[in-house]
Amino acid sequence: MLAAGDPVAAMKAMRSARRRRYVARTDVMEVLYRIYLVALAAVFALAFLAGALHEVPADPGSVESIRADAPAIIGIAVAVLVLAGLRSGARGGPLAIEAAEVRYTLLAPVSRRTALRPAALAQLRTATLFGALFGAVVGNFVFRRFPGTAVEWIGSLAAFGALVPFAVLGGALAASGRRLRLGVASASGLVLVAWSALDLALGWNSSPATMLGDLATLPLQHGADAWLAAVGAALVLALLAAGLLGIGGLGLEAAQRRAQLVAEMRFSASVQDLRSVILLRRQLASERPRRKPWLRLRLGGVRTSPRIARQSANSGGRFTNPVWRRDWQSFLRWPVVRVVRVVLIAVAAGGLAVGGFDLTPVLFALPGPLLFIAALDLIEPLAQESDHPTRRLMLPRRSAELLRTHLTAPAVAMAVVLALAAIAAAAIGGNPGLALGVGAVVFLPLAVVMVCAAAVSATNDPYEFALNPQLSQTITFAPIVVALIAGFLPLFVAWKVGGGNSARVGAVVGIDVVLFVFALIGLAGLTFRFRKREGEAL
Amino acid sequence: MSGAIEATRGGPTDAPLSAHGLGRSYDGYIALGSFSLDVAAGELVALIGPNGAGKTTFLNLAAGLLDPTSGGVEIDGHVPGTIEARRALSYLPDAPVFYEDLSLTEHLEYVAALHEAEDPTARIDDLISRLGLDGWEDALGAELSKGMKQKASIALALVRPFKVLLADEPLDGLDPPSREILFQILAETQAAGAAIVVSTHRPDVIAAADRCVAIREGRLAYDGPPDPAILEEIFDRSELE
Repeated sequence: MLAAGDPVAAMKAMRSARRRRYVARTDVMEVLYRIYLVALAAVFALAFLAGALHEVPADPGSVESIRADAPAIIGIAVAVLVLAGLRSGARGGPLAIEAAEVRYTLLAPVSRRTALRPAALAQLRTATLFGALFGAVVGNFVFRRFPGTAVEWIGSLAAFGALVPFAVLGGALAASGRRLRLGVASASGLVLVAWSALDLALGWNSSPATMLGDLATLPLQHGADAWLAAVGAALVLALLAAGLLGIGGLGLEAAQRRAQLVAEMRFSASVQDLRSVILLRRQLASERPRRKPWLRLRLGGVRTSPRIARQSANSGGRFTNPVWRRDWQSFLRWPVVRVVRVVLIAVAAGGLAVGGFDLTPVLFALPGPLLFIAALDLIEPLAQESDHPTRRLMLPRRSAELLRTHLTAPAVAMAVVLALAAIAAAAIGGNPGLALGVGAVVFLPLAVVMVCAAAVSATNDPYEFALNPQLSQTITFAPIVVALIAGFLPLFVAWKVGGGNSARVGAVVGIDVVLFVFALIGLAGLTFRFRKREGEAL
Repeated sequence: MSGAIEATRGGPTDAPLSAHGLGRSYDGYIALGSFSLDVAAGELVALIGPNGAGKTTFLNLAAGLLDPTSGGVEIDGHVPGTIEARRALSYLPDAPVFYEDLSLTEHLEYVAALHEAEDPTARIDDLISRLGLDGWEDALGAELSKGMKQKASIALALVRPFKVLLADEPLDGLDPPSREILFQILAETQAAGAAIVVSTHRPDVIAAADRCVAIREGRLAYDGPPDPAILEEIFDRSELE
């Protein structure tokens, strides 16, 4: 490094030396083995889906409706992601720079744009690769139902998948480089969302996000709309260029704060401690409970309920159900951003369900994991009990019983989220009867499954089976897989079964049995876990 | 350069560090309020005050790690964060930070190269020897004890040329012989024309300073000679160790 002629050369030499060292330390066989496992699982999953779906060509009416409306709907989804990117940028994201890099490189007389560009490009590379891959997989299924060749669909959806991370990260980089205030960043993102919503309402193709939607459905578009897809792509590239050019303006205060939190987050992720990752992500997003709740609860229940107030008075003012009350107190202190996130998740889940029916059932795989994220927010009071075992063990109640009681309020709240998802699907899709019917049949059992899966995940001790990494990994990923399957199955059955709405909804009723079994397994697992922990502690 | 610290680059400036009405607040809480300070070349200023008074906030603002909410500060006539200011200012923070996969020597080589230090090998050898880091040249940050980390951090601040040195509690974790060495190095740096601001609670640092600046609750409480009698009027003895 001493031989390096100038500071930039010194920086590059140091980074390449570190890269070489990292590669030298990496166990190549282990990496290849993991790639082999993932590739094998992906091939099997795709082969299974391709065999199971037997997709039939869509009728001309559906094709026309998707050609006309899908760009704006996809545009709204893209705009929401750009909004999230802009907000992350306003908080110093999306880059996560080492603390030492801030201290030594960014405080040295070296262009910060030059210093930060490799980290930004690396992040873009990874996100784009995954986006393009996902787009190509979806394209591989979509072309079977719609006019257009496999190459056209796979190509357009891969390009769309690659450009979405460009838009999100480009927006984030631009916001952080220009040090946009959170309010300004949020307002800019909301304008984009509203613009795309206006496009949908008026049947226009004017928003840049809608133009990206044109790219996603390019084989269906013709004339000016096809050209607009190119304009959308060009605008995204321009946004990315602006972000990369302004990257040197990054505020070091935010960079330092992120550096510390992201380092802790990476460590937590490396030991599969999902709970810590969630807590650190909330810190990173400055997501704190409201000082003043949305609504104050009285002893025994909600203040607007005279019956519960009377009950409380009859019991001498004692809590009728302190756990239920405590859980609702937690929800009533949710910051706006968390409320919005959960509502957006519900809408996105409904939208993806509709997308699954209209485009390809592969999209049915997404609502489950999304709803699992909402359930992780809802399970927070229970997770806190798990985080503080001493406090829990001081209570005159069995831990397992306490934990089970903590599931009631999140399950009720999750049912509301699922009802919202069903209403969103009814509003977005062309068959509200089916959306509401399927929603009515599964929303309660699915809510219990999601909450149980989230509870199993949030109360997982990543070190409990440290000596058995395979078991530890299974326990970490099982709740996510269960959530995926629980979200996929009802939609897939409703799609797969022929006939009218009543036949489809009737078939979905059978899935309730599967969901019931999932919920029982989750409850049994939680009970066993907390009995064991209590037994070990006492 | 052996035995001497080459602190400056270019000609001397009257006040390489100049803050005027500098302020920083967080959601209504004033961490530093309208703080003004000029530090001349070759001057050693002891920055004192109880915990939470705003000392580290001032140093972070001057280093460009924080953005001011009012007023401004100039480093050698430049706004913190600009290339010129970064070239002129060296910051020794209270918490040492290292790349987890670079050795001590590699850190020193890297920082020296980033700042285009002249004859870096001699400078590195000299600092390692004087700070008692011999034998630890190939150690990673995680392998160093608290005191060794502090010495390594001091070496990293001094291995490069600068006009302004900001040091936040630099004697923390150092044993008495190491403290003596650091005092010597600071004196040499001062003699070489650097403006030095040392945040501290220690009477020995205050005694060695040319000037003492006291902050209380984000405001300037005293600016003058390091007279123990005056300082005791401002602070409890416990606040100054």
